[in-house]
Amino acid sequence: LEGLTTGSTFVLEQPRCVFDKYSNADIWLVVALENTVAAFNNSAAPGTAESAFQKFPNSVPAYMTLNATLANYPCSKSDGDITVLRVGSETSCIRDDARPTCNGPLPGPGPYRVKFLVLKGSEPVAETDWSLPIMLRTAKSPNSISTTDEGHSAGMIALTTILSILFAILLAGLVAMLVFWGSDACGGSSSFSKPEAVTVRRYNTHHVYDQPAARL
Amino acid sequence: MAKSEDCIHILQGLLVFGNVVIGMCGIALTAECIYFVTDPHDLYPLLEATGNDDIYAAAWIGIFVGFALFALSILGIIGIIKSDRTLLLVYIVLMLITFAFEMASCITAATHRDFLTPNLFLKQMLERYQKAEPANNNDQWMTEGVTKTWDKLMLQNHCCGVLGPSDWQEYTSAFRLTHNDADFPWPQKCCAMDAQGLPVNLDGCKLGVPGYYNSNGCYDAISGPVNSHAWGVAWFGFAILCWIFCVLLGTMFYWSGIEY
Repeated sequence: LEGLTTGSTFVLEQPRCVFDKYSNADIWLVVALENTVAAFNNSAAPGTAESAFQKFPNSVPAYMTLNATLANYPCSKSDGDITVLRVGSETSCIRDDARPTCNGPLPGPGPYRVKFLVLKGSEPVAETDWSLPIMLRTAKSPNSISTTDEGHSAGMIALTTILSILFAILLAGLVAMLVFWGSDACGGSSSFSKPEAVTVRRYNTHHVYDQPAARL
Repeated sequence: MAKSEDCIHILQGLLVFGNVVIGMCGIALTAECIYFVTDPHDLYPLLEATGNDDIYAAAWIGIFVGFALFALSILGIIGIIKSDRTLLLVYIVLMLITFAFEMASCITAATHRDFLTPNLFLKQMLERYQKAEPANNNDQWMTEGVTKTWDKLMLQNHCCGVLGPSDWQEYTSAFRLTHNDADFPWPQKCCAMDAQGLPVNLDGCKLGVPGYYNSNGCYDAISGPVNSHAWGVAWFGFAILCWIFCVLLGTMFYWSGIEY
């Protein structure tokens, strides 16, 4: 699950097949910070200021939330169901003091430790151990993303180099062409005439042949 | 002399053929660049907001270079058939200028393509997507463009973020300022949607249950079209320039052999 831990929520497996003996009791989730775990005692009553979400972590060491009974956690689990609890999903009651059992988003990255507490009336009858520390995600600032040049690709370098060389050759050719405009140095052997060239025909003059006939 | 007449005719024929190819390639270049400028994938707002939209400038130059090549190829054909020194000199000089412009276009497209890394899009997405208080009109224009483009990208390509939905978790963002982390670990557009455009299962999406949210990043959907744009302009232009190089060298040789 990609949303297993986010910046202010985390996900727990439902405690199925754990509290089967306690059919009439309330099952509460206790959430504490790792360093306030020791300060919490089971006599704190849920729904009071002693375990209010809104006072956590400043005034109370832990808060109690996600009230449920055995009916919510039946032992038979149908295939394909995702049986999880999302801690921190209720955002409407964050500042509502009238709802001390709010399942509100967690105020910091933690690490948090949780346990389930079963209360009959107001007597604790069962509990789980404190969980391993749960650390939430901390977000970095986008300014830490470096977008500076990561180097040029080989294709771009090849393209630039080859094109520059070709252009330089063409410019050199143009200069050579213009410098040798007047002279026949390069074009002499292969110069050719324009299509309208005049052809010279042999022309015999008349008088060379007429005069001997006139003297006879 | 018959032999050199033949040589001249062959050279003329080759140059005319070369110019015909240049003319056709010019039209093809214009058509290709017009296609890229029309931005069929609607990615321009993303590039505009990063300030790195020069591959579009390269495409615009390509449009005009294509027309110029077509016109110059006709001039070249006329000049070769008439063997007119002036015409051919004008042709060579103008062709060199066009060569320089096309060279600039190719190098720009290739260089700026290298700037478009995942980090660039990631940073811009985090800073602009659904930014609530734009500083000025220009900022607002870009923010709206980026937000609309990303929404469209995520819906159509079934993707989320640049590298994945965890982009929204790993970094703080403008989106995070207005949407709290518990209700929106990532934008709702990343959720699998039904026919009405509503998330199929919002809780499943928030939890990250496979099937109810888009788990891939959108970088492939962005870089595919951008790459084909940049490489299309750069490498096709490069191929045309190599051909023009050969034809110009031939024309210069032909020019220097014409009697005046």
